This record gives sequence, C-alpha cells and structure tokens, in this order.
Amino acid sequence: MSARWVYVLQESIRGLSRNLLMTVAVVLSVTVSLTLLGASLLLSEQVDLATDDWTGKVEVSIFLCDDTTACAPITDEQRDQLRRDLEDQPVVAEVFFESKQDAYERFQELFRDQPTLVESVDPDTLPASFRVRLENPALFGVIAEQFAAYPGVEEIVDQREILNQFLRFTNVIRNAALIVAAIQLIAAGVLIANTIRVAAFARREQTSIMKLVGASNWYIRLPFVLEGVFAGLLGALLSWGLLYASVPRVAGQLRREIELMPFIDAEHVLLIGPWLLLAGVGIAALSSVVALRRFLDV
Amino acid sequence: MITLKNVTKTYKRGQDDEVVALRDVSLEVAKGEFVFVVGPSGSGKSTFMKLLTREQAPDGGDIWVAGKNLAKLRPWKVPALRREIGYVYQDFKLLPNKTVEENIAFALEVIGKGRREIDARVPEVLELVGIEEKKRALPHELSGGQQQRVSVARAFVNNPRILLCDEPTGNLDPTTSVGIMKLLDRINRTGATVVMATHDQHIVDSMRRRVVELEDGVVVRDQTRGVYGYAG
Repeated sequence: MSARWVYVLQESIRGLSRNLLMTVAVVLSVTVSLTLLGASLLLSEQVDLATDDWTGKVEVSIFLCDDTTACAPITDEQRDQLRRDLEDQPVVAEVFFESKQDAYERFQELFRDQPTLVESVDPDTLPASFRVRLENPALFGVIAEQFAAYPGVEEIVDQREILNQFLRFTNVIRNAALIVAAIQLIAAGVLIANTIRVAAFARREQTSIMKLVGASNWYIRLPFVLEGVFAGLLGALLSWGLLYASVPRVAGQLRREIELMPFIDAEHVLLIGPWLLLAGVGIAALSSVVALRRFLDV
Repeated sequence: MITLKNVTKTYKRGQDDEVVALRDVSLEVAKGEFVFVVGPSGSGKSTFMKLLTREQAPDGGDIWVAGKNLAKLRPWKVPALRREIGYVYQDFKLLPNKTVEENIAFALEVIGKGRREIDARVPEVLELVGIEEKKRALPHELSGGQQQRVSVARAFVNNPRILLCDEPTGNLDPTTSVGIMKLLDRINRTGATVVMATHDQHIVDSMRRRVVELEDGVVVRDQTRGVYGYAG
C-alpha cells in the first residue's frame, strides 16, 4: 500500500477513535435507522409474497341456503342449475362444490390447533358452497349481479375484499416504518455531518498547512469522508446482522403457526443487505461531503 | 515570475462599509529576484501575499504567478499552483505532535510523493537550514529561530520556484533574524524567487535588495536596491 493510502486510512481511523463516544452514537443511530428501513423492506416483500400466493387462490364463495338459514333450503335441481350457469359464464375459470361435510373437514383441518373452536362446530353448522375461481378476480361484480337473486343462494362473498383489507393494513404499517426510518436516517445524517465538522475543526491547523503546501482537495477531505463512511458501513453491517439474526426466527415461528401463507426466509434478509450497505454508506458520504463543503474550501 | 496588473481588492465590512486593501496595484517580479514588501500594518501586505497563493481572489485586475493566470485558474488547479510556492509564516505553523523531520516530510507526503523521494529530500533540506541534529525534536523543544528554520525547510522541501515569507522574523530577536535572512539569501541564490513582507527596518536596510512599499493599498515606492524608509 502506498504512503498516501496509509496516511488516508490512518487519519480516518485516528479520527474515529479520538472521538469514540461520538462514533458510537453515529454507528447506533445508523443501525437503528437502517434496521427500520430493512424491516419495512422485508415487510413489503412478505406482503408481495403472500399476495402473489393468494391472488392465484382467491375465490368467490357462493353460500347456499339450508335448514339453518333464513332462506328456503336449496333443492338439488336448483343446485344443478346454478352449477351449469356458473360453468357457462365466461369469466368463470373453475367451479368446485364444497358440501357441508367438506366444509366441516376443512374447518377441522384449518383450526386443528384450537380444539375448543373445532368442538363448537358440528358437521351441520357450516353451509355448503360453490367456490368459484375467476379468470380475472376483478370481475367479481359480474358474478354478484348475475347470481345474487338465484333461488337458494344465501350470500356471495368476494375473498378479495378480505385480502384487500389485509393489504391496506400492512401498507399502513410499512409506510409508518418507512417514515420513521427516513426520519431516523436524516437524524443519522445530521449527526454524521456534525461529527465530521467537529473532526475537521479539531484538525484545522493540519488542514490549513496541507492546503498551503498544495495537497489536493480530495486528499484533505478523504480522511474525513472515510471516517463518516466507516461509521455508516459499521452501522449498516450491524443492522444487517440484527435483521439476519431476528427475522428468520420470527418468520419461522409464524410459519409453524400459520400454514396457509408463505413466509420470507433468511435468503430474503441476505438479499436486502446490499441495499442497507448502500443506504448507510450513501447517507454517510453525502453528509460528510456536505459538512466539509464550506469548511474546507480553498 | 509574478505579475500584477491593476489589481484591486476590497473587503466588505458590514453593508455599505468597504475597506480598500489594494488599489490598482501593478507590479512585476522577475525570476530569481529578492523583494521586500514593506509598509505599516493595514497597508495591504498580507492581502498581497494571500492573492499570490489564491487564498483570496482580487476584485479587479490580473495576476500571473509561475506562468499561471490566477483569474482563469480552476479551483482544482489551485493545489498545483501552491506546489510552486513555499510559504513561511511569522508564527511558524508547525504541527506540535510531529518531530522536525516529520513536519518537513509531511509537506511531501500530503502531495503524494513516494517514500524514497521523501527519505532522500528531507535530509538535504535539514542540512541546508542547519538543524540536522534536532531532527527528532518536537517543535516545543526548539527555540524560535530553530522553529523558523524548520518552517523554511518545510516551505523549500518541494523545491518551489517562489518562496513567500510573511514577516518571517517578526517573532525573532535581531541576531536570530540575521541567521534566518542568511538562510533566505542562500535559498534565493539557488534560483528561487523570494518575496518577503516585513516590518523589520534593520534587515531591509542591511540587505539592500529591491523594496516595494505599500501605503493604504497603493505602491508608493519601488526601488531596486532600497532601504526601509526614504533615507536613500
């Protein structure tokens, strides 16, 4: 390594250790902001993952009348007619019939971890239904309009509506996390700028001599910028490590409890790493350069 | 080596209050000359020096230093200009935590010179200024005269074509000052152009070199073998 690089590295490491408490503050604040940023990115991925998985499965449920409902129980004839009309309807991709027994079995399967819930239901409680998959889930209105008035149809439910509610909820959480992350990142940037300014002030004598003997600007500034970048990099690595240690564990826990849904895994956390590093190094470099802009002008 | 044409520099002090530091100054310094710039405090000596290193820019007029037109000099070319100029301060400006040797080497390190060149050049200038035996001392262990020798060595280590000295003897007693002047004279004889701002009448009178006198920002006298006052 040539003498000039030795100098640049030495100076930046010296700067960091001279002001250790400040360095710790900078690293922690970068860590917190990037952890939040990473968490919101991962939440986005989780939502995308779940949405992709569900969009293919989203169905329209047409619940049928029986002895327990207010409407008159559907006759076999009415049911066959309904099925034929559904199959003839061009927006419909597939039609399954789910009998009361099928519904009961699926319910048992779904909630097998909650025995009290399973016991509260007997094979007669749940209604039979047609489960209809559409060519395009957005065309729910066509089905609702055509079949709502059919005899023996109790209710038509668009599962997409349930999904949308869930998506709105996760979007709110993700946006809140993003906003907090952005504020934290700005705070980290300001803290870095201030730290760099203090460091530059402490070394102003040396800097003024360097300027007068004709050291180039980047040579004067680089140690300060690297000082910020090291801190930013360290913060980014820490936040990556934190996410890597915690997110797969939480996702694994959820996966065991909720089987219907795919969850993100360690690989997703690894993949957002470069973005965290880029954000950490970027904000640090940017605020260092801005901090030095006026201080070290010729 | 140095040319000023109709150079004017004013400082703003408050909204309408302007101080004229240099007024329509034209001056030429040839290669290898030794020039004293004299005048009372506030006459524009410091401004003159700062314009030459591009620490400040004039409001009007043109300046050429070492073949460069300073008005057209891009900011990133300023370091190249300063590598042609050695600068000696009244207060030495040595780094307190570096030894004599390290202070001198620093000036070469930060402009990216290689280790081999630094190791060859530093002993040369140490010998030139006569403080080899103090090379491992820290600045506070040295007398004022010795510190100024280190400062001259640092200014000259990169073989600049121009040496600018801002009151180099201002903090020194007369005997020590003579030593520094001998040193500057020796450097001048190697071919370097020396411009020295000073108050020191005794030194100016004894050297009998070119004297440029400033008063209220105007050149009032320019003599080839002058003295401090109007005596000759």
